Amino acid sequence: MTPPQAEPAVELRGITKRFPGTLANDSVDLTVSAGEIHALMGENGAGKSTLMSVLYGMERPDAGTIRVDGREVSFAGPAGAMAAGLGMVHQNFKLFDSLTVAENVVYAAEPRRFGLVDRAAARRRVRELAEEHGLAVDPDARVGDLPVGLRQRVEILKLLHRGARTLILDEPTAVLTPAEADALFAVLKSLAAQGRTVILVTHKLREVLEGSDRVTVLRDGRVVARLVTAETTADEIAAAMTGRAVELDRVHAPGTPGDVVLDLTGLATDGVRDLELAVRAGEIVGIAGVAGNGQSELVEALAGLRPVTAGRVALRGRDITHASATERRAHGLAYVPEDRHAVGTAPAASVADNLAMGHHRTSLSSRGLLSPAAVRAHARRLVERFGIKAATEEVPASALSGGNLQKLLIGRELAHEAPLLLVEQPTRGVDIGAVQNIHDQLIAYRDAGHAVLLVSAELSEIRGLADRVLVMYEGRITATYQKDEADERSLGLAMAGGGTAPVEAVD
Amino acid sequence: MNNRISGALRSPVTFSVLAGVVIGALFLLGTGADPVTAYQAVLTGALGADGIGSTLSTGTSVLGMALALAIPLRAGLINLGGDGQLVLGGITAAVTGLYVPLPAPLAVTLALLAGMAAGAAYAALAALCENHLGVPLLVSSLLLSYPAVSLASYLARYPLKEPGSSLPQTRALPEGVALPAFGDSTVTVGLVLVLLAAAGYWFTDRRTAFGYEIRMTGLNPRFSAYAGVERRGLTLKLMAVSGALSGLVGAIGVLSFPYRFVDGSLTAPGYTWTGLTAALLAAAAPLGTVIASLFFAVLQVGGLAMERTTEVPRELTQVLQAIVIVFLAARLRFPSRLWRRRKEAV
Repeated sequence: MTPPQAEPAVELRGITKRFPGTLANDSVDLTVSAGEIHALMGENGAGKSTLMSVLYGMERPDAGTIRVDGREVSFAGPAGAMAAGLGMVHQNFKLFDSLTVAENVVYAAEPRRFGLVDRAAARRRVRELAEEHGLAVDPDARVGDLPVGLRQRVEILKLLHRGARTLILDEPTAVLTPAEADALFAVLKSLAAQGRTVILVTHKLREVLEGSDRVTVLRDGRVVARLVTAETTADEIAAAMTGRAVELDRVHAPGTPGDVVLDLTGLATDGVRDLELAVRAGEIVGIAGVAGNGQSELVEALAGLRPVTAGRVALRGRDITHASATERRAHGLAYVPEDRHAVGTAPAASVADNLAMGHHRTSLSSRGLLSPAAVRAHARRLVERFGIKAATEEVPASALSGGNLQKLLIGRELAHEAPLLLVEQPTRGVDIGAVQNIHDQLIAYRDAGHAVLLVSAELSEIRGLADRVLVMYEGRITATYQKDEADERSLGLAMAGGGTAPVEAVD
Repeated sequence: MNNRISGALRSPVTFSVLAGVVIGALFLLGTGADPVTAYQAVLTGALGADGIGSTLSTGTSVLGMALALAIPLRAGLINLGGDGQLVLGGITAAVTGLYVPLPAPLAVTLALLAGMAAGAAYAALAALCENHLGVPLLVSSLLLSYPAVSLASYLARYPLKEPGSSLPQTRALPEGVALPAFGDSTVTVGLVLVLLAAAGYWFTDRRTAFGYEIRMTGLNPRFSAYAGVERRGLTLKLMAVSGALSGLVGAIGVLSFPYRFVDGSLTAPGYTWTGLTAALLAAAAPLGTVIASLFFAVLQVGGLAMERTTEVPRELTQVLQAIVIVFLAARLRFPSRLWRRRKEAV
């Protein structure tokens, strides 16, 4: 940790930002010293992104002052923030896929020669920057062909090219493998060692503990803790984020597997091939993998939303390879999709209507008549049973927080009591408090004798819940582990494609 | 209940309608007319003793078409082929009424059913184009409309033309082959049929599993597909119902005064577009669609009266209608933008 200098790199004082209905930032102070890696933590909705939007000129604060390098500033937009030496890597990269690395890096700040873009100079510049900061990447590669980890480097190079002295990274590791994340932190540390400042917006405890110098924790728009990383613990940060003590990374007791419920042989669909897999009653099978290795396609094919091109899918002994989504559900399948807003719910519909989906032709109606009273009663039951926080069951689902919307979705699907549950990313973007609740629900569901196929990018989640862990890489299962063999290192290696030869998945 | 009233007052619909009225008043002032007199003329013209019958018979067609467009719209589908389905329903009813040798009441019933069947089949064709050929419904329904209108026009001008007449119209239907009217007004049993259709729509929407699936598909098609609602089947069913209602409006038009198919008389008043406007205004909600349809029927009929009594051209009511739509369209974009801002904010 570099000793704090006289002028902090960034100093926010009393930032208040109000949106209709919410106080996103309530008089927040944040001081980031030059040369440090400063983690800004908080659950979803704690106000991290708003604070960074204010700092980066994308939102105007209702009150408060911003100082950059000791000078008070007021940005009209990101351009002003960039001119003042700030640079931000957004969660969704803002790159041109069809252009080369060099073209992306110099975009909007091109070296010119006779009024034209000097491509040779651009390539040279990128090479120099890459070498200087240990960000190895081929300047002539097309960005669309690069893996995410390298694209992120391009984003960082872009900022360095424009002379950013303070880098803001929003959830930088969300899409990275553990190895890529480690590489990123090595780069960030060397940048900090050169005197640049890094602000890391994240909710992942592990990387904060390993990679940051100081931590500021937000909750409900206020600063609730300012910590020095070396002197704190994961539990302390988690407690600050949630406002109560939370048990992290619990590993649940294994289940007792029974009959095979789901059986895949030689399954192929878009981006998935030769997939063998079985899930038994009373067992959770976890699929680990970096996003984009065929997990989503596999689950969609199982749910009947994507055609199977080869192989066979059997559910409770019946061939459902080409069955429709409705037939699958009728035969005993429930599904929690990855995207709660776009697929799993209708945000504009009421909580009651959202909870009725799938039950509306079975328990809630008779001869096609759907009684509004039954729909409301059903909603009240599930709201109560799964602890969904909603003002009434008539409010639109969009009014719920991410965690509560996820509880709604999981509750609705669990209520089918289907022999097979497909769950994708059950706790992505969900508050730590709700995570525990959701995990407990899934374990209870398994213990009631149901089969669960869990897809998650969160290794700790897979390790905590799954009785068997499969790693998916480039559309295939490349490794299988029993619960106690799955350690983070070998899983991470397998997720990056460095695993051992494919292991037979079916025991 | 209080909440509900204040919610309705603050709703964008109220706002759009009020904005339309205010801007319309400015237009009136600009042309030197007195807005109060003009609006008064609209209201008395449409709802006074002389106008109410005309408003209700116009309302029959507007409401019928509004329902025809609202039902698919509830699932996010837009049927732009109302004109074609309407005209096919009308010509089919005319042919049935003219050539079926049955007692009058049976002939009327059969003509209504035949008109509905023709409209339904034609609208279903547009749905099939989307389902199996990948032509977007918006395009297939709109483009199919033109040949249907032309076909009916050809039939009324050549094979079915009334001998000796200079007008492009069929012979008049036989004596008694007509919808019973209320008293000596132009309001017929057709209004009852359309109101029954509205009641059926309300019931389906509120009280059936099918109506629930329609609503959820409209709010998020990926959500309903995920839960197993079969989109192609739904599109086909809703388009058939929509076409049947358009055909019904056409048949009612033929089975009321002037008791024949006159080329252009069904489409000229623009019921399809007024109906679409009403359905959009109400966001396809059943009760709202009924209210919006009556609102536009009042504007249409009252506009004529205003022109007669105040020399303000009736086009003003169309300006009003357009302003209401522009404001509503602005609302359609407004919340989604706010929503995105909110999501980025957290």
